[in-house]
Amino acid sequence: MKLHDYKLIFVVVGLVGVLLIAAPAFADIVSPPPNEEKFSELYLLGPAHIAANYPYNLAGGQNYLVYVGVGDQLRSSAYYTLYVKFRNQTDALPNATQGTPSPLVPLYEYRFALQDGAYWESLVSFSVANASVSGNQSIVNQLTINGLQFDVNKPSAWDSNSTSFSYSLVIELWLYNATSNAFQYNNRFVNLLLNLTSTA
Amino acid sequence: MALGAWFAGLQVAFAQTTPATANLRLQAANSVVDAGFKAVFAAEKAGANVTSLLAQLNNAATLLAQAEIANRTGDYNTSIARADSVLLVAQPVASSAQTLQSAATVASQDAFWLSIEFTVIDAVVFLAILFVGWRWVKARYMKHVLESKPEVPAQ
Repeated sequence: MKLHDYKLIFVVVGLVGVLLIAAPAFADIVSPPPNEEKFSELYLLGPAHIAANYPYNLAGGQNYLVYVGVGDQLRSSAYYTLYVKFRNQTDALPNATQGTPSPLVPLYEYRFALQDGAYWESLVSFSVANASVSGNQSIVNQLTINGLQFDVNKPSAWDSNSTSFSYSLVIELWLYNATSNAFQYNNRFVNLLLNLTSTA
Repeated sequence: MALGAWFAGLQVAFAQTTPATANLRLQAANSVVDAGFKAVFAAEKAGANVTSLLAQLNNAATLLAQAEIANRTGDYNTSIARADSVLLVAQPVASSAQTLQSAATVASQDAFWLSIEFTVIDAVVFLAILFVGWRWVKARYMKHVLESKPEVPAQ
């Protein structure tokens, strides 16, 4: 091997070594673009804290429990609002295609901020009061959510397809947009189907 | 004078329970929580640990939700009371977040320059060692060349 070949080896080792030494500093300056999907989770669990045994048949005066939860997978902190709405079979659900929320006025709401990867969960207890059934018509006049009573006066006609006086509890996820300074519907909702069985 | 005091009291009582007043207080409460969240968000981006600030903000957000619900049900006194509580809880969040953000930014810059300094020092030490190695290899090579005897081709 000639002296020139040794020189070449030393130059190459020197360059590679300097690049390796500088790599951590370069990594600080040039961070790779994030390729992970960013999203928020919304889930509803039954009273046993599993995805089963959801309340369906609703008797007036009885209390029912579900768990609602949100997970932040946005790679940053986020500020959320959950709106709880009560609907009958003619009220519109949120439109998943257009990404628009239900036009119903929310009854109850939760607000909270979450760090990336964190979960928030709360127990939702609800009951109906002053409900009545007359022939093929039913009406729920009052709904209590977490101890707060709301006048809903919501009628529902007998649905022969589902053989029920159909109602549902809709929970929508809204996310705060720091650019527009407003909450925006996150196009995620859960719809707990209910059937008024007795007015008690 | 007594009548004046009564009238002023009536005005205060009236002002505190109207929907307009409740809406104004709610707007103020919403603005403070929004500003708090934005400041926390910025501090987090700067690399600060915002766990405790988010917990504080969550207390305010819970009160704000209660104020919004009360406002919707027409319970304006509760709405105003909760909105005022929101202001007390959330107002320190933004300033604390800004302090954290500044500290995190300075710490981040310090860490960056420290990283650059270490890189330069490491590179210089590495190149110096390599240069010494090169000198040694070169010296050995030259010695080997000078000490070697010329080969005479056999006739």
